[in-house]
Amino acid sequence: MRRLIAFSVNRPRLVVALTVLVTLVFAAQFPRITIDTDPENMLEADQPERVLYRQVKTEFGIRDLLVVGLVDPDGVYRPEALERYARIVDGISRIKGVVLEDLLSLTTTDDVKPSADTLSVAPIMARVPSSPEALETLRAALRTNPLFADKLADRDGQALAIYVPIQSKDQSRRVATEIEAIVGRERLPGQSFHIAGLPVAEDTFGFEMFVQMGVTAPLAMGFIFALLLVLFRRVSLVVIPMVVAMASVMWTMGALIGTGFTVHIMSSMIPVFLMPIAVLDSVHILSDFYEHYRSLGRRREALLGTMQEVFTPCLYTSLTSAVGFGSLALAPIPPVQVFGMFTAFGIMAAWLLTFTFVPAAIMLVPEARLQRLADGAVRPPVVDRAIERVLTAVRGVVTGRPGAVLAVGALAVVLALWGVAQIRVNDNPVNWFKPSHKIRVADRVMNERFGGTYMASLVVDGGAADAIKRPEVLGWIERLQAHLAETPPVGKTSSVADIVKRVDWALKGGGEDGRLPASQEAIGQELFLFLTSGKPTDLDNFLDTDARKAQVWVQLKRGDNVDMDRVAGAAAEFAERVPPPPGVTVRWSGLTWINVVWQKLMVRGMLEAVLGSFVFVFLLMVVLLRSATLGLASMVPLTVAILFSYGLLGLTGKDYDMPVAVCASLSLGLAIDLAIHYLQRFRAAYREVADIDKAQRATFGLPMRAITRNALVITLGFLPLVLSTLTPYVTVGMFFASLMAWSFVATIFFLPAVVALLGRRPLGRRILAGDVRWL
Amino acid sequence: MALRLLTIAAAGLAPALAALALAIAAPAQPSADEVMAKAHLAMFYPGEDLRARVTMRLISRNGGERVRELTMTRRDLRDGGEQRYFIYFHRPPDVRDMTFLVWKYPGRDDDRWLYVPALKLVRRIAANDKRSSFAGSDFSYEDVSGREPEEDAHKLVREERVGERAAYVIESVPKDPASVDFSRKLSWIDTATWLPLKEEYYDRRGELSRVFTAEELKEVQGFWTVVKRVVKNVQTGHRTEAVLDGVRYDQKLAPDLFGERALRAPPAQLVR
Repeated sequence: MRRLIAFSVNRPRLVVALTVLVTLVFAAQFPRITIDTDPENMLEADQPERVLYRQVKTEFGIRDLLVVGLVDPDGVYRPEALERYARIVDGISRIKGVVLEDLLSLTTTDDVKPSADTLSVAPIMARVPSSPEALETLRAALRTNPLFADKLADRDGQALAIYVPIQSKDQSRRVATEIEAIVGRERLPGQSFHIAGLPVAEDTFGFEMFVQMGVTAPLAMGFIFALLLVLFRRVSLVVIPMVVAMASVMWTMGALIGTGFTVHIMSSMIPVFLMPIAVLDSVHILSDFYEHYRSLGRRREALLGTMQEVFTPCLYTSLTSAVGFGSLALAPIPPVQVFGMFTAFGIMAAWLLTFTFVPAAIMLVPEARLQRLADGAVRPPVVDRAIERVLTAVRGVVTGRPGAVLAVGALAVVLALWGVAQIRVNDNPVNWFKPSHKIRVADRVMNERFGGTYMASLVVDGGAADAIKRPEVLGWIERLQAHLAETPPVGKTSSVADIVKRVDWALKGGGEDGRLPASQEAIGQELFLFLTSGKPTDLDNFLDTDARKAQVWVQLKRGDNVDMDRVAGAAAEFAERVPPPPGVTVRWSGLTWINVVWQKLMVRGMLEAVLGSFVFVFLLMVVLLRSATLGLASMVPLTVAILFSYGLLGLTGKDYDMPVAVCASLSLGLAIDLAIHYLQRFRAAYREVADIDKAQRATFGLPMRAITRNALVITLGFLPLVLSTLTPYVTVGMFFASLMAWSFVATIFFLPAVVALLGRRPLGRRILAGDVRWL
Repeated sequence: MALRLLTIAAAGLAPALAALALAIAAPAQPSADEVMAKAHLAMFYPGEDLRARVTMRLISRNGGERVRELTMTRRDLRDGGEQRYFIYFHRPPDVRDMTFLVWKYPGRDDDRWLYVPALKLVRRIAANDKRSSFAGSDFSYEDVSGREPEEDAHKLVREERVGERAAYVIESVPKDPASVDFSRKLSWIDTATWLPLKEEYYDRRGELSRVFTAEELKEVQGFWTVVKRVVKNVQTGHRTEAVLDGVRYDQKLAPDLFGERALRAPPAQLVR
């Protein structure tokens, strides 16, 4: 490695050219990119819940649904408004990717109605009514028919809905855009419209995510660049870490794409995660070089001296971070594995670049510019003086009263633990958008007016063919539905029981409410009657072909994990109290349910993976530092950063969601870095001066200044993410800042305090000096 | 030079002349309207009346199967005009004894009655849509009893073989596009029997939606009959196979059979 560094210093042009060449090779892979925006892919393709959902979708011919709402403050039951609605449905039925058979609307869905001795089966609105009586009839039909109330029309007569089934979820955004164009063209002045549903939220997020990557990542880069400029004041120097960050991102993404992996929501975050880690090492070098050069004035010597000092700590930090991320590969979630492995690759790529490209690039900076840097040494910049004052003050406190510092720390840890205990695990893809986003607005409006835009399926398996037609089974389904209907946020349930009741009611002339017939023959014949008059798919959506399984369609007004959980709990509680007829079993499925499954798995999986990484990193630290005590000490900033950040999350009541789960891994890359730099530099100083106080003083000089600069850059550098329109990016930005700030606080307060306490005992001093190994 | 030009011109003209000669020699092609009128009669009006046992298999995309078994009788009041259908269901078991009566009128909605034995109820069913499903199958009422040729504009597109048989390919476009769920239809009409060998329906987006195939033709009492017909909804993957057994024409079926009373008490010969 020394030879590689020497080579880079001696042949800078060649090294830079090689770097560019290799980067181009990796960048050449970019055009082969395949993007995967389906959060369902968080689960393995053969994960049981996914298999069930696919099975449910084919068995019942159900599709993922977009819900379109047309809101008219002047009332929808007037010919002009209904005419527009009919034209919108007609337009939607022509969009590619829309499953016509299952399109649910006033003009495409049949209603079963009695009149005299006749049973009429016709679209709810076969033609637009014009007379006041006909309009009132339509209004009454929508209000009284349990199959349509709260589903197709709201209670105030101000909104109508269209349920648009789509062939596949990844077409949602395109279909939604086409619907927007149609409604925009057809709607009357004063009418507004909304498109809600998880598929469109997920697909739109996938799309906007990549837009945001294109906006926020460069924004963060620019901001970091500006910050570095303030600290080092030379564009020619500051450009170097930026190139390292960009090149390592390009290597990593090139490798990821080149090896055939899809760029998923997780892996799209790699650049944002990699940038701070990649910048970190080169900032250490720059800091050292900057100060050495100012005091020495000779480039080559300053550079080689710097390399000598930072090589080991940088190697250790890169190794630990890489191992930390690499161990995510053990998580049972495919996108997390990819994320972990390639981030690890990126960290090692950044390390390689730091010790080849960085020295080469520094050698190529024109002497005159460096000279001006040295001149600047006469008057250190304001920021530097401020940093120095703060660090001196901190050192005074920490070395003076280490016990007190640690006591405060312990108290804070207790508070943080309490906060961690308050954490609520919850997520909802719709909440990935800011409250003003049209998807969130649609979510609010539609769920206020209708039975719910979050779809779940309760699959009732009767155990044998025709079991569902048994009166006791259908009766149990009816009671289960009644129970669910009283469980918020359930807004609406529909099942084959509702269809039978409706046909029964219509057959018997439409007097009182429809009832479930008492015999299987009657149920079978009423279902047959329904089939004989409608479309073959009408019944298929609720009953499988041999009437063994039924699907209860449950609409929820809110789709948070906790909401779905509550509803599932209510169903389980009902089945406990009123056991289903023998042989009958129930299972949940549907998109809202699937989201709960993957999010839980993700949150748990990520937690376990990070804890696993924690152990790996600890073991590695023990080996690298050759001391269990110091290994433990080096984990202090990491532990504090995670505990404080997550404790704060619990205390502020923010949900623990997907982006938060992912962020924990970053502390492996940042907090451990600062700890290693401090410990390694302290030990080097201690071996040299053989005095704890003097060593602290030395470490609080140049090395701590580098640590502080880094902390400043990363803490502030990612705050631009807060401006993103997508909340996961906002969360990531805030969490980066929080993790880095706490890592820094722990590194300048707690870690030196631990060292100070160790320094008071002979054994501790021997450990610090490296005389005692493995203790 | 002039000679070469002439030769080239002659070479170009020769095939055109040959085609013209063939066209004159061949019998005059029937018009598209004629083809469709003949096909309508051949498919839906052979004999004075008909009786057949129909087995329908409704097969979903994933292979799930529902079976309908019924006895169908038909009586024509006038060729190409009014018809009456009486249907008795044998299977599935829970619909056994259900009966169904259809009075078909050209140019207006059918009258339909259904008997529900479990409730001992006869109900008239007003479905103003001939395109709605027949007994939950992929066949619509119109597919079973015929769509009047006058409702569409027909065009002879080409002649083509379907397997062994020569066929006219007719494109039909509905005159009132709002009244139906298809934008156009292609029919392959057998030049010998006038039966439709294959039909393709295109939805309003212009995409292929349903395909009908006559899988088996049989001559019964001098009438060529499609005894196995399959319709596949290519968009949903759902398909229905209908097989006709025991086809008999001109049985002199009594007009009483096609009245409301027969619904509750179908003749014993149909129930077997």
